[in-house]
Amino acid sequence: MSNTAHSKAAKEFLKNQKYAKWHDQTFWSVRTKRDNMAYGLKEWEQLRETASAIKRHTLTHLDQYLDQFSTNAEKNGCIVHWAKDAAEFNEIVLSILREHNVKKMVKSKSMLTEECEMNPYLEAHGIEVVETDLGERIIQLKGQKPSHIVMPAIHLNHDDVGELFEEKLGTEKGNHDPTYLTYMARLSLRNEFLTADAGMTGGNFGIAETGDIVVCTNEGNADMSTSCPKLHIAAIGLEKVIPNYDCLAVFQRMLCRAGTGQPTTTYTSHFRKARPTAAPMHIILVDNGRSQWLSNPEHWESLKCIRCGSCMNTCPVYRRSGGYSYSYFIPGPIGINLGMLRNPKEHSGNVSACTLCLSCQTVCPVKIDLGDQIYKWRQQLPSFGTANPEKKLMSSAMSFVFNHWGIYNSALWVSPLANRIPRSIIYLPLNPWGEGHEMMQFPKQSFHSLWKKGLSH
Amino acid sequence: MSTKSQILSSLKNSIKERFPMPDIQIDATTYADPLAQFISMTKSVGGKVVELQAGDDINQLIRSLYPDAKEIASSLPEITIATRNPDTTPTAQSLNGTDVGIVRGEFGVAENACVWIPQTMKERAVCFISENLVILLPKAAIVNNMHEAYRRISFNDLGYGTFISGPSKTADIAQVLVMGAQAARTLTVILIP
Repeated sequence: MSNTAHSKAAKEFLKNQKYAKWHDQTFWSVRTKRDNMAYGLKEWEQLRETASAIKRHTLTHLDQYLDQFSTNAEKNGCIVHWAKDAAEFNEIVLSILREHNVKKMVKSKSMLTEECEMNPYLEAHGIEVVETDLGERIIQLKGQKPSHIVMPAIHLNHDDVGELFEEKLGTEKGNHDPTYLTYMARLSLRNEFLTADAGMTGGNFGIAETGDIVVCTNEGNADMSTSCPKLHIAAIGLEKVIPNYDCLAVFQRMLCRAGTGQPTTTYTSHFRKARPTAAPMHIILVDNGRSQWLSNPEHWESLKCIRCGSCMNTCPVYRRSGGYSYSYFIPGPIGINLGMLRNPKEHSGNVSACTLCLSCQTVCPVKIDLGDQIYKWRQQLPSFGTANPEKKLMSSAMSFVFNHWGIYNSALWVSPLANRIPRSIIYLPLNPWGEGHEMMQFPKQSFHSLWKKGLSH
Repeated sequence: MSTKSQILSSLKNSIKERFPMPDIQIDATTYADPLAQFISMTKSVGGKVVELQAGDDINQLIRSLYPDAKEIASSLPEITIATRNPDTTPTAQSLNGTDVGIVRGEFGVAENACVWIPQTMKERAVCFISENLVILLPKAAIVNNMHEAYRRISFNDLGYGTFISGPSKTADIAQVLVMGAQAARTLTVILIP
């Protein structure tokens, strides 16, 4: 049986066992920190329930809230743009930058600009783009993509970063101390903030009632990116808009507790308009598939996601296979689901990266039924032509056996014989279940026959 | 048809059922002593809290906290030791190299050590570009949680405000926590009577 794309990629990740173990333990400790935060608030489950209900309400009134948001942002003096897809988004950004004669733009972290592959587009048009979140900067210098939505450089250790900085930033040879490296990155980025012509941020939330763009960071890089340059562009996906501050309070309390196990991010910044010494602020609202996904009766709730990352932190498959094992740019349970909404043919290989343990939907702060959705996607694989024919055959054979008790009983009776098959045959590459995995031993007596004899004996 | 109307009509077509807005009545944690909780949270997020005693001079206190500071930036009238003023600075960039920035916080949040800082100066860069940030906060102005906080915040015409909780930090290199990523490397909240 052919392995899925995910399990093939995971094999690469698992080659470095020491690192794989560190990765697993690191994310488990983040999960533990999240638990301490959640258990520390008696109202945690009430917050989750409310957050989920607010998102359901907002998404099903998104036409109204987006209209309200853009009206208020324009009243504040912002220029609001609408982009139907990645190409239109990139063109809008480029045209704003050209209008202001921008040569260099600093930016804070945004999964949306990853989604639209904005950086390579702008660079191809002669704009220098500098990522300013430390993790994003590291992978930008390394020419890589994020392996986690909140901790983008988690696949690199301090030696990897140290060697990278020696080459790119001219840091001391052999000094790979994270404090030193962070300081050197600070000095280099400080220079970028001071010399950039524009700053771009994403947005964690857009507030319909006030027109605010709210950005949460620990590093303060979104604020640095927007407090020196003369131009601020904020880009958000449609689903980031929420009704008002009462709603925001609910999400602000959960975002960081769920994501990194902190009581809050260091900075929760509200941008309503440009600085008095800057050009008007631009806001770009990006659809890129979202308005269509909303029509999917079984999967529209994936749009509730606030990008905290807690589902990947807890996922036993993500922890043991890393972000690069998934074909979509967002990994883990939410990435599996969003990838399937984006392009099921291309990203079906991810749906098997799930044990259906449902840990993800137990921690999700907005109660997305992530694991249930993955299960539902699996049922739809034949309609995308991406179902595995061998698994299908195996399933129909099992279904036949389980539906015919005579055959089932005979199979059970002979099953202990399987224990005698030599290892060299059982663990042939033909048996994918024998790979990295010990096959079960069939018991001499089945539960069925024990039951008949009377379990009490 | 404009992209805006295309997107809005596509949303309208996609929405099958409109769910009601829930009642947002969170039975939120409150504290017997919000100030004590605020102080303890500020320390746990890496900040420092100092109390200005009645009769003490704020400038002397800041001086004693940062004896080596050369460039001090503030637009607050009571800060007489300032060498730079974010209201009159020629550019935001010229605030770079500030050793200590001093700003006023409107209120603090007990649950997470956030302090609400609306922009009151021409260049808000002072809040981030300074190596060390000092926030002056009225001791009585502490709310329990973010629900209370969001009912209290207000904006002036400058249209910007931020909650700050502790110094700038990162764990992006091998998950090791380092204070002082891109903005202030230390944060001191001075509680004023």
